Amino acid sequence: MNSLKTELKYLFGSMKFEEKNAGEIHIEAGEDDFLRIIPALAEKKCILIDLFAVENFDSTKNIFLLYVFEKRGCSEVLILQRKVSMKTSSIATTFPSACWYEREITDGFGIEFTGAFDTRRLFLHEIYPQDFHPLRKSLVNKPMKMQESIPQTEEYKFKEMRGEGVYQIPVGPVHAGIIEPGHFRFSVIGETIFNLEVRMFWKHRGIEKLAENKKPQEVIALAEAISGDETIANSLAYCVAVEKICSVKIPPRALYLRTLFAEMERIYALLGDLAGMIIDVAYPAGASPLFILREEMLRWNERVSGSRFFKNALQIGGVKADVGNETLEELIQYLRAFSIRLKQAADQAVRFTSVFDRLEMAGVVKKELVDSLNLSGPLARASGAAADVRIDHPYGLYFKIAPHNFVLEQGDVLARFRVKVATIINSINIIQKIIREMPQGEITAAYTLKNGLALSLVESARGQNVHFVYIQKGAISRYKVRTASFCNWQAIEHAVLGNIIPDFPLINKSMNLSYAGTDM
Amino acid sequence: MASAIGNVWKSTVTEEFKFRDEEFEQLGIKLKRDIDSIFGRSLAIREVDTGSDNSPEIELVNLTTPYYDVERFGITFVASPRHADVLIVTGPVTWNMATALRKTYDATPSQKLVIALGDDACDGGLFKGSYAVLGGVDKAIPVDVKIPGNPPAPKEILKGLLALMKKIRERDS
Repeated sequence: MNSLKTELKYLFGSMKFEEKNAGEIHIEAGEDDFLRIIPALAEKKCILIDLFAVENFDSTKNIFLLYVFEKRGCSEVLILQRKVSMKTSSIATTFPSACWYEREITDGFGIEFTGAFDTRRLFLHEIYPQDFHPLRKSLVNKPMKMQESIPQTEEYKFKEMRGEGVYQIPVGPVHAGIIEPGHFRFSVIGETIFNLEVRMFWKHRGIEKLAENKKPQEVIALAEAISGDETIANSLAYCVAVEKICSVKIPPRALYLRTLFAEMERIYALLGDLAGMIIDVAYPAGASPLFILREEMLRWNERVSGSRFFKNALQIGGVKADVGNETLEELIQYLRAFSIRLKQAADQAVRFTSVFDRLEMAGVVKKELVDSLNLSGPLARASGAAADVRIDHPYGLYFKIAPHNFVLEQGDVLARFRVKVATIINSINIIQKIIREMPQGEITAAYTLKNGLALSLVESARGQNVHFVYIQKGAISRYKVRTASFCNWQAIEHAVLGNIIPDFPLINKSMNLSYAGTDM
Repeated sequence: MASAIGNVWKSTVTEEFKFRDEEFEQLGIKLKRDIDSIFGRSLAIREVDTGSDNSPEIELVNLTTPYYDVERFGITFVASPRHADVLIVTGPVTWNMATALRKTYDATPSQKLVIALGDDACDGGLFKGSYAVLGGVDKAIPVDVKIPGNPPAPKEILKGLLALMKKIRERDS
């Protein structure tokens, strides 16, 4: 692994920089330095992985924007701190993935970005009043009354596509299946998709604001609720961030159990994706064996943690309850046949040309998009990028037990199907190793709460989740979460182009992004 | 052709799984009896998510997979509220989804039965007091039965449906 510090040192000159929490390089950049560094970072192929605002960041009441970058091959992350007034310049033309973040900051804090190519509202839909900015400290969180009728001028403007034979298909937010709400606006010529615009945030529940002023221990339940099938990924990321701030070293057995839970979650979540893809090409008989495997995993989840979705399994400093060694032994016995059953089920499912034909060449995500939109997880690995937080920014046990990177180049639905199968099989191998090496001993460590901030990155089933925790006076002052889905959603707008409308559900399922995890 | 005939005599190639959960089966049979007599053999459910964490959706989909397969008991999930006997709503009602939920409710034929599924849907749960939600489902539309849980397991969902049947019987008698 290269060092980000040495790679970029020439850029920083005399600027003050500080290394925190092993692997976070914090730099306070003045406006001139900032404007100079941004194009240089783009040139160096750094990837913008998060961007958010924090109020009361220093001893004054200033608002800072934090720009988080990574570079492939470097395990550290770079955090640029930029002090801003209520109006500042956009970086979306240099880093296209900044677009959603900047719109999010405008909604949350009221900061205006000059030079941005899209300034529409993001998570606050028309029903919210115009001058409402919930993440400002001055706003007290309480139930609100919203405007009864929405003036036409405030209605959301979708991109308009014109031309002979072009028509629009609006879909959602309430869909036909048992699925979360989102709106898809297709512009279509005949059956071919000419443009797609996704509109999300229907499920915006105000998680970040709810976390404010809470005791760190109380926020775990909120982290779990970010996305039900990423319960462990998010509660783990949150706990790790708090543990970094408080310098807690968790006991070895707790570390092993946490990793076990995380890998079990990955398995059941990805099995759902595989089965869903096969269902969406109308082959339920092929999907059934995959659904059976998933249900069996959900039952194992319950046996080891007391919850089918690992709710309430973690706590700061360790895990809530120990798992008996006999249970672990039984699990390893059960998993012995799992890989073979999975391979058989997956091979059977795509064996027929009528299935294969639907999956191959559908919804291609080009490799060029991976870095510019910060795509991650199986989606990125199916498009030729070896992206996996467990390898790129190892945490917990992954320093010792690293997963195997399985990368395909094609970027189509079939590649995503295969990468997901390989990811599950890899997780099974990791679990077998974990259980064999599982140490005895304590499952929690005591800790004293400290003030400070930390960033934590984890690999969820969908990819890279980034959690930022800022504790002041023993309570959460800012909690910012960016799940993999937030970035990966933007890939679907590109992936469907030139495909036909009936392939959209399949392409969507092959990515299986979380709406809740995006909307927060 | 020869292989097709051969298949008839060949022993089965599929594995056998031990699926049967007696308690679930009993709940299902009871529910089927109720559905037969009250709804004329089929109960059509439309699901609406107004802000859940997506685990209730996973459990609802699970009801249609091989382990549970509730279509045996006359339960179907339909694609439109216009075809639905029952709406199952998950999640606290967010302001962004409030209008969509009301429109879905309006599109449902009477008697517009509504089930709130999950702790958040029952009373707002974790999200009580947030600027972004109205609270439980009953803050937006009338609710007949609440199924608590984070999320409720398939068995609990079946018990909730039984409670709905009981409520309809009591109301109609």
